[in-house]
Amino acid sequence: MKLRLLVAILAGKIAFWLSRSRGNKGTSLPGLVARKIYPGSLLDLASQVRKKIIIISGTNGKTTTSNMVAKMLSDAGYNIIVNREGANMISGVTTSFIMNAGVNGKIDCDFAILEVDEASIPAVVAEVTPGVVALTNFFRDQLDRYWELDKIIGIIRDSLTVLKRTTLILNADDPLVAQFRKTTGLTSFFYGVGRHEVSARTSSQAREAKFCPFCGAPLSYDYFHYGQLGNYNCTGCGFERPLPRIEALEPATTAGGTECSLYYNERKVSLAIRAQGLYNLYNALAALLVCLHLGLDIRTLLDSLYKYNPVAGRMERFNYYGKPAFLSLVKNPAGFNEGIAALHAVKGTIDIFIAINDNEADGRDISWLWDVDFESLDQNTRSFLSFVCSGRRGEEMALRLKYAGIPVERIIIKRNIKSAIKKTLAGQAGSAYLFSTYTALWPVHKIVEQLAAKEVADDQCVSSIS
Amino acid sequence: MISVCHLYPDLLNLYGDRGNVIAFRRRCQWRGIPVSVREISLYDTIDFKEHDFVFIGGGSDREQNLIAADLMKRKEGFKEAIEEGLVILAICGGYQLLGQYYLTRDGETIPGLGVMDFITRAGDKRLVGNVVIEMDIGGLSVKVAGFENHSGQTYLGDCMPLGKVLSGNGNNGADSLEGVRYKNVFCSYLHGPLLPKNPRLTDHLISIALERRGMGCKLTPLDDNFEDRACMAIMRRLGFKKITGGSKMQGKK
Repeated sequence: MKLRLLVAILAGKIAFWLSRSRGNKGTSLPGLVARKIYPGSLLDLASQVRKKIIIISGTNGKTTTSNMVAKMLSDAGYNIIVNREGANMISGVTTSFIMNAGVNGKIDCDFAILEVDEASIPAVVAEVTPGVVALTNFFRDQLDRYWELDKIIGIIRDSLTVLKRTTLILNADDPLVAQFRKTTGLTSFFYGVGRHEVSARTSSQAREAKFCPFCGAPLSYDYFHYGQLGNYNCTGCGFERPLPRIEALEPATTAGGTECSLYYNERKVSLAIRAQGLYNLYNALAALLVCLHLGLDIRTLLDSLYKYNPVAGRMERFNYYGKPAFLSLVKNPAGFNEGIAALHAVKGTIDIFIAINDNEADGRDISWLWDVDFESLDQNTRSFLSFVCSGRRGEEMALRLKYAGIPVERIIIKRNIKSAIKKTLAGQAGSAYLFSTYTALWPVHKIVEQLAAKEVADDQCVSSIS
Repeated sequence: MISVCHLYPDLLNLYGDRGNVIAFRRRCQWRGIPVSVREISLYDTIDFKEHDFVFIGGGSDREQNLIAADLMKRKEGFKEAIEEGLVILAICGGYQLLGQYYLTRDGETIPGLGVMDFITRAGDKRLVGNVVIEMDIGGLSVKVAGFENHSGQTYLGDCMPLGKVLSGNGNNGADSLEGVRYKNVFCSYLHGPLLPKNPRLTDHLISIALERRGMGCKLTPLDDNFEDRACMAIMRRLGFKKITGGSKMQGKK
């Protein structure tokens, strides 16, 4: 055993405890320290994974998809390593292995499930060879950091093409993702959602892919789910939505989540998850197909998925004196539009809280708020009693709502996050929906947890009010 | 009826620039001025003379090349309308398209419409961040806030800048100038988007569009509390206390 690896592991663990004792989450410092001492830390530890390394990337849904895979694999009795949310660059990935490793330099792991930031894929796959790579979708996200979407997709394609034995799990409905089968030449399996009653003939929302990635001709669509996701074909070269191996049919929003039937292996089974929103259904499909590919039984997997609890900020459900409150992370137009779609599906009145920060990790440019379809809220204003805008750029959010046609009397600007949340939860409406950008999410989450009780998915466990 | 034309909204839609059209339309509607918005894309026919306000935003490189070719075909009509006082707002990529040319990093020259005397060169580093500029609006010195994100660096020839950079980079990060102003054409690198939180500029555009139609009159004042607060959120962070007032604009080239 390499002495330097042992020293690196030890130093990483010490860094973790020091960072923790100072109130930080300690998700990237240990990896950073270990890599400084022994640059081969990740390479050595990752090579000890007994079965497979699974990488999950894409713009939206990385964390939820990884957590769903983790839930299904650990329910199946495997030892797993998962990186913590947000720690999805190379130092964060290294941290997850360091924290799992013993002082003897060994890890005990069947599967490593790694959520990897799009721009970090080249660095991570240079040290870690994934057996499976799942891609969720590509939307514009934090453009001031990553520039244009085309560039990111090119970077990911180039770093995957050199892998020879990796299987790709791809979203059939997103042409930007589906193109990876052809551009990388790797074995690929697809998941998708079939046409359903709310599928639109046109997509008014900002679409990223108007042209065929192969020949540049315009893409023609049969229907859209959201953004550029739908049933497309190229009028020039014939590139089209691939046939999915698993396809969700007739998805429906229920009080507790989402239900649909699932077409798999020429038969239909039912799929239910405890999370609302079509995007969460996509996450479940990606996670399911990853695990099916690993050879697990579909019945057991569906059972595990149903027990999955959304993590912080993914339509996480709370209970405020009997009133349901939901918390969602928003970081780009596609995600926020999906959140708004969920609002329209709610029966009864709603108070809404939105926290917008513009720190580095949120993306300093918040102009994307003007690409979100807040105009659709205008059709239903009687249901939306108040909009409380908070965070470093709460004023811009309020302005956006004003120009979307929301009556200004219903828009409140409160910089202080705590009093803004209190006002929202104490509102007159039947439910509360809270939206927050990345750096405001943890403070918001902490405050909501203090004020309201977290609801767990298990029906037997009746939530109490703390 | 004020007629707004949004050029290539399906292609040039990076960074929420459609907010400019939203702001222009709403501020007309709130005053009871009838307004219609027409979206024009590749191959659509358009007579610029029928419109009162034209907006053109920025896009990714690939999309911008498609548009340059399409716009070139409409060059004569566009130029004529500009000389006749058509009100235009062009942001970022749309701004660059109106100049003489764009010089890429590989030394390739992509010709622009040549409506105004400025050129753009690809820079080594991207200029990204919040910006505050000072500009003249109807004889009043007004501070305008936005967010820039561009690698092209623009240098003005014989034309007027839109304003002076107080914080941030502007056209090129070197000469403290931002944007271009020619007749009723306003060009800027500022996203954010520009018009919603800078209502004095929006109202100025509406005024000159009305005037050109012979419908000129003083605009009904609106409550701009939210607008000013959104603008001040940036300004205060960059050390500015007031939107209007301050030094009178110099007759700078």
